[in-house]
Amino acid sequence: MRNPTSFIGGGLRRDLLILAAIVVLGCCVPGVLNRGLVFIAGMIWINAVFGLSFNLLFGLSGVLSFGQAMFFAAGAYATAVFTQQLGLPFIPALLLSALTGGVLAGLVGVVALRRSEGVYFAILTLAFAELVHILISNTALLGRNDGLAGLQRPRLGIGGWQVDLAAGDNFYYFIVAVCAVLIVFIRWIIDTPFGRALQAVKQDPERAEFLGIPVRLHRLVIFVLAGATTAAAGALVAPWAQIVTPDLAHWSNSTNPILYTLLGGSAYFWGPALGAVVLSAVFYLTRTLVGLSDMVTGLLLLVVVVSLPGGILGLLSRWTGGEGKR
Amino acid sequence: MQAADIATLLVNSLTWAMATFLVAAGLTLVFGTLHILNFSHGGFFMIGAYMAYSLANAIGGAPSIAVYLFGSLVAGVLVALLGLVVDRLVLRRLAGVEDAYVLIATYALLLVCEGSTKLIWGLNYHSVLPPASLDGAWLLGNAVLPKLSLFIIGAGVVVFAALEYFLNRTKPGRLVKAIAADPWMARLLGVNVRLVYTATVALGFALAGLAGGLLVSNQTLSPTLASAFVIQAFGVIIIGGMGSISGAFLGSILLGIIDAFGQWVLPGLPGLPFFVAMTLILLLRPQGLMGKAKH
Repeated sequence: MRNPTSFIGGGLRRDLLILAAIVVLGCCVPGVLNRGLVFIAGMIWINAVFGLSFNLLFGLSGVLSFGQAMFFAAGAYATAVFTQQLGLPFIPALLLSALTGGVLAGLVGVVALRRSEGVYFAILTLAFAELVHILISNTALLGRNDGLAGLQRPRLGIGGWQVDLAAGDNFYYFIVAVCAVLIVFIRWIIDTPFGRALQAVKQDPERAEFLGIPVRLHRLVIFVLAGATTAAAGALVAPWAQIVTPDLAHWSNSTNPILYTLLGGSAYFWGPALGAVVLSAVFYLTRTLVGLSDMVTGLLLLVVVVSLPGGILGLLSRWTGGEGKR
Repeated sequence: MQAADIATLLVNSLTWAMATFLVAAGLTLVFGTLHILNFSHGGFFMIGAYMAYSLANAIGGAPSIAVYLFGSLVAGVLVALLGLVVDRLVLRRLAGVEDAYVLIATYALLLVCEGSTKLIWGLNYHSVLPPASLDGAWLLGNAVLPKLSLFIIGAGVVVFAALEYFLNRTKPGRLVKAIAADPWMARLLGVNVRLVYTATVALGFALAGLAGGLLVSNQTLSPTLASAFVIQAFGVIIIGGMGSISGAFLGSILLGIIDAFGQWVLPGLPGLPFFVAMTLILLLRPQGLMGKAKH
């Protein structure tokens, strides 16, 4: 098989150092770039978590889901409802949104993982996501096709200490902080014995089962965890874009993390994050000519799948001497 | 519910069914033979429709039925030629690649289709007038039977019959079936498998282009046409059993009826009955209604 089958992470310490460097770099963004670009930078952080969560399924466990948008949308809508309609404080709302994504993933995973594998599972998740999309588009409480607009950025208060996240670039820094925590969590999962067992499941499910790894249960648990982190990422979108629309649940949004992951390199921990940066740059640079972004994205993805299965990071590691960089 | 309502609903559901079948036929043919679930099939269907639109525009006015059919055939041939290019550049390289990557690669192709459609034809909605002889409707009692709908139902049945005849009664068709069943054995027996694969891809793409041409008056053209139809086509070939032409035919009728009558029961949730049916079939009988169990 030409496609790399083992999930390549650097050491945990190296990845945490890389994360620290990215966070420092990310915090410089508002100082040098204008408001529009800061908004895009915030979206890149969110999308990076979206992609990294997807890769817990694809790169780590060998499960292809074409329906991750339903969890992203669930998180976004849950935050909008919890904060605006139920008046919950933001941090509990964020945690409840992640929980919502996890529960939804549990419901979908229990039936979908039991009955299908491979391409069938991909199409089944796509169908589930479209069900969620149709339900959201037709629920009055969720604003039907118009979605929920005019969402406020919250004010955080811990004891006597108050921060207004609506002021200046405060919400951007908040996104960086939450995304960093989520990335550490995702990286930690990979390093646990559970994460290692999932790599075994990906490489050879039958043998893994034979060695006593409960394959189906492991897949379900990672599906739930990925659903929760995806929903947490989606939860950040609601106050950042200040609007949530049913498009968040459309299946074309499910393909975004797939694009990030494949482009960056599904066999590498940082692949989806790099892919999110590169694709956002592509979208930004091609924004003036309608259709060009689809064209460039499609061609890049084709090149990656057909002749460069390791993605950008795979190419880089080949240039810098292969194995040493792993 | 009166008889006339039922007749109208039935015509609507059969129109939906045959429109979807026309798109699904090529999809299921290529899947059955090459085992490639081609996400981009909807994209090439859309390009066929836009080509037919350009052709109709070049001629101007409402086309005659002969011109309409001719336009569909031209769209079919042009899209088949595109299929040969795609086969050469992409599909051949996907042999031996994991299923998941194949699905993603053909999704990438769909993006390329959508991008080029937006670049060439723009984002605006377009429409093509149906031929004068297909405009209007017949009245059967109180039931309204639009002529264009009846034309599409007829076209679906004709394409189905032609494909069944080709695959079961002609030598090249049987060759396709033999290779679908066992490419290794076919190669041992001296069949040029590569050539048959290429021909199948060309036929599958020709069907996509033809469907685009035949359906061009049935809906407005926009770059979202591809994804809407490819999901519908996925639904019917899954229900029918992937790779089976007759399965796709029956699956599209079943889903068409479920969708139209479900719409009537649940008017507030368009599209929901379709996805509920698709999800249930995938869960209860993943091999489809007509397919054999995989393992």
